[in-house]
Amino acid sequence: MRERITYLQKRHSSLPPSSLTVTPTSLSGPTIHAIREERLTFSLDELPRELSSVLNEVHELHVRWVSTKGYQSVGAFVGRLPGGWHIFWTPGAGAAGAEGGGDAEGKLGRVLGSAFGAEVEEGAFTKLPGGRFTNAAALQYFQPLESLDRFAGFAKGKLCPAEDEECGRRMDAVKGASALDVSYDTISHALKVTALWAYQEQEIRAVGREGVRTEVGVLSDEKTPTMEDHELGVSGLLTVLGQDEKPSATMFSFPSRHRDAESGFSAGFTQVGLHPVLQLKLGSNKPPVEGVTCAPHAYFTFPRTIFADRYQLSDDLFLASKNLTALRYISQPVDLEAPEYVMRTWGSAALLELKPPMMGEKEEAWTAEIPLHLRYLTPTHGGYAHLEVPYPAVFWACNAEEGTKFPTNPFERANLGYDGLFGPRTVFWHVEPRPETGDRVASPIRVPVLDLGKAGWVNIGTAAVVLLGFAWVSWKLLLVYLKSGYGASRTSETSEKKRQ
Amino acid sequence: MAGQATTTPSSLAARFFHGRFPLYFSAAIFRLVFLLYGLWQDANSPVKYTDIDYLVFTDAARFMSKGQSPYHRETYRYTPVLAWLLLPTVWVTGSPFWDAVWFSSGKVLFAAADLVAGWFLERLLTMGGQGVRPMDGPTARRFAAIWLLNPMVATISTRGSSEGLLGVLVTALLWAVVARRATLAALLLGFGVHFKIYPFIYAPAILWWMDGERMSGAGPSKSSSSGPGPSLLSRLARFITPARLQLAVISLAVFLGLNVFMFQIYGTPFLIHTYFHHVSRIDHRHNFSPYNTQLYLTSAFPNLSALRIESVAFLPQLVLSCVMIPFILAKKSLPTAMLAQTFAFVSFNKVCTSQYFLWYMVLLPLYLPTSSFMENKRLGLCALALWVASQGLWLQQGFELEFLGQSTFVPGLWLASLGFFLVNCWILGVIIGDVVLQPKSI
Repeated sequence: MRERITYLQKRHSSLPPSSLTVTPTSLSGPTIHAIREERLTFSLDELPRELSSVLNEVHELHVRWVSTKGYQSVGAFVGRLPGGWHIFWTPGAGAAGAEGGGDAEGKLGRVLGSAFGAEVEEGAFTKLPGGRFTNAAALQYFQPLESLDRFAGFAKGKLCPAEDEECGRRMDAVKGASALDVSYDTISHALKVTALWAYQEQEIRAVGREGVRTEVGVLSDEKTPTMEDHELGVSGLLTVLGQDEKPSATMFSFPSRHRDAESGFSAGFTQVGLHPVLQLKLGSNKPPVEGVTCAPHAYFTFPRTIFADRYQLSDDLFLASKNLTALRYISQPVDLEAPEYVMRTWGSAALLELKPPMMGEKEEAWTAEIPLHLRYLTPTHGGYAHLEVPYPAVFWACNAEEGTKFPTNPFERANLGYDGLFGPRTVFWHVEPRPETGDRVASPIRVPVLDLGKAGWVNIGTAAVVLLGFAWVSWKLLLVYLKSGYGASRTSETSEKKRQ
Repeated sequence: MAGQATTTPSSLAARFFHGRFPLYFSAAIFRLVFLLYGLWQDANSPVKYTDIDYLVFTDAARFMSKGQSPYHRETYRYTPVLAWLLLPTVWVTGSPFWDAVWFSSGKVLFAAADLVAGWFLERLLTMGGQGVRPMDGPTARRFAAIWLLNPMVATISTRGSSEGLLGVLVTALLWAVVARRATLAALLLGFGVHFKIYPFIYAPAILWWMDGERMSGAGPSKSSSSGPGPSLLSRLARFITPARLQLAVISLAVFLGLNVFMFQIYGTPFLIHTYFHHVSRIDHRHNFSPYNTQLYLTSAFPNLSALRIESVAFLPQLVLSCVMIPFILAKKSLPTAMLAQTFAFVSFNKVCTSQYFLWYMVLLPLYLPTSSFMENKRLGLCALALWVASQGLWLQQGFELEFLGQSTFVPGLWLASLGFFLVNCWILGVIIGDVVLQPKSI
């Protein structure tokens, strides 16, 4: 097992080496304003059997949870996803029913479901488009998930010996994380669990453990004149516990696909009813970099209660009136008619290219509208269901210069659902999701449903009225029958005869 | 007739209906204006005039033009014939003008079908028979105008809905039957059922109507309607006439032949989307059907309800439209029987949308001349007002649900759909009662 703890401060806020106290088993320092990332790397044999047996049937797996509470991020950690629980994975070659995941899918769904306190139904995964990237995952799943409480408890039970208080404390802290990634692939044969705590006040503190290599970095975002547009830099202090007696200064730069556009957006429903309109309010209509092709995009993961109609989003005039360019991708299949309660797939992912109105020289705020459709939901008492649709990930996709390569960097996040839909030289400049009110980066909506409290008479009433109508029509038929039987009425026969 | 033609009609209306040209020309111009307006709106407004269904049809035709199955288009739930008919809509010439013309060719086809249906209505009205004295041309055209100059009909076909094709199929079928052209009638019936399923309800009425006396031209048998008849077996033997056999065998062969042919080309998706879908669909989205709220409830809680109305809902519908109405009405007046059948089928259906209303509207001009709605203007206006008002009430509730987000499922939409259903049943009762009235009127 290896461990890496990284604190990342904003630019121009580095610490002197003397501010950190290093002992063979710990590191401590002042309270700073920073983002914190902790990464644990396990080899397969360090994992409980039930987990490693599932991973044996997996070629590649990324489980990502993102808080639905807005959070600030810095530098290399700005890669965003809609709030909720995402799974991307590719079944291994040896997995039973490798075709669509099959049995391995059910098994994985059960294990992950119990770990995160969610239920993954059979057949809920959708296929991702393959081809462009050999390393893109094959199957996708998403569902809203409020907290990591259940996962923290699960990890504590599986990984911490009962007497190890420090371990328990660390796992409890996961409950406060803003994002979590669990990644595995057959090439490294390693399971990486990465938790991220939002940019906020935190105390520098790390405790080493027997047999675990613990690396602590206290870094800050850096920009040097020699760095290129697509590169990120960091500088600061690195310490390996039990190995280094004092922190060593470091500075390095690396190309990064995820950058901060340094603007924000919010989202909210403007039209209610069964065809609601989600409005994105973006802070800036100016691309984050000059001189390259850039276009703003929104990547949605819609729960199965709501969907976008790709046919509606295919008319240029209509799209332009909503400040949209095109629907670039939508997962398949999206049933346009089925009620929510008969759906099997998790929902749908959609990538929309937005069209900022080009106004003056100055940066200006603008909006884009996305027309959506609600499914019929299970009836409730009271006649309404309350839903939340997570904000999309909004970013400017810009082309890096010809020949630019993006080798793996220490903070790399790939397989986010949308990165595989772009070319290999694309840089994602992320627009920060900001709550409209409160702290949630999800748009609430009230959905009208059948009111169970008033539905008591529906069965009997419908049957009675249909029978009444049937009886009335039958009675009229009977009157005709009694008057003139089933044959032709006599006068009409004579007129027929006359005609001939 | 010749004498009538020489008299010069005085009033403007009389002059309008005097010859064929003014009516059909204005019906065509009427649709052309709608069509051009639609092109303008589609090109200039994000809110489209063209019906979503037309985009479904043309997308399906596009798949077909590439040698693929039309069922690649989601929600294409029709026979491949429709996509074939619309193949010209995907022709690309390179000139935006001609592309738009070709794209609209399907709407032109549907609008032309409207006109042909109107022409068949005029033919049927001037033929007489069927408990109706033959009408003179101008009077027949006045009634045909109810269809030809109906803005609802013109809108539906120029927006690109295919219901106009059914109008022409059904009126042509009726004309072929009344003109004793059994083979043509059988071809139309078989094709009609393949095209849209519901025309199968006309089969029992037509078969029952085609009795030996009528088809051979012999006088009516005394035992046709009353008195103790001969033995069951001989009555059965007398029922099976050559004309009836011809109709049954040919129409069935056409229906099955087309289905086998389509199945050969497009396989199971053809069967699933054209036919099985209509059996298995849940129909939970709000529509005019009285069963609608009930279906939403039972589809959401399939295990809870002991009474599964939807599994017996077809009984009153089919008993009325396929057994009782044909049996009692068909021999008295085939057009009225077919109108009543369609009315019953649509009103008692598990799903009912406004385009279904066109299915019976096309038969109205044949019934109205001898109806108590025309004889008693107040009754007629009252029926029309009730039909419109109960629909309006439903639409208002539907609007509150769909666009204002109010939970109007119960009681609003539910009661509105039941009210509309009862109004329809009342109108249906009047139509049925009118068959014994008919010979006296005109």
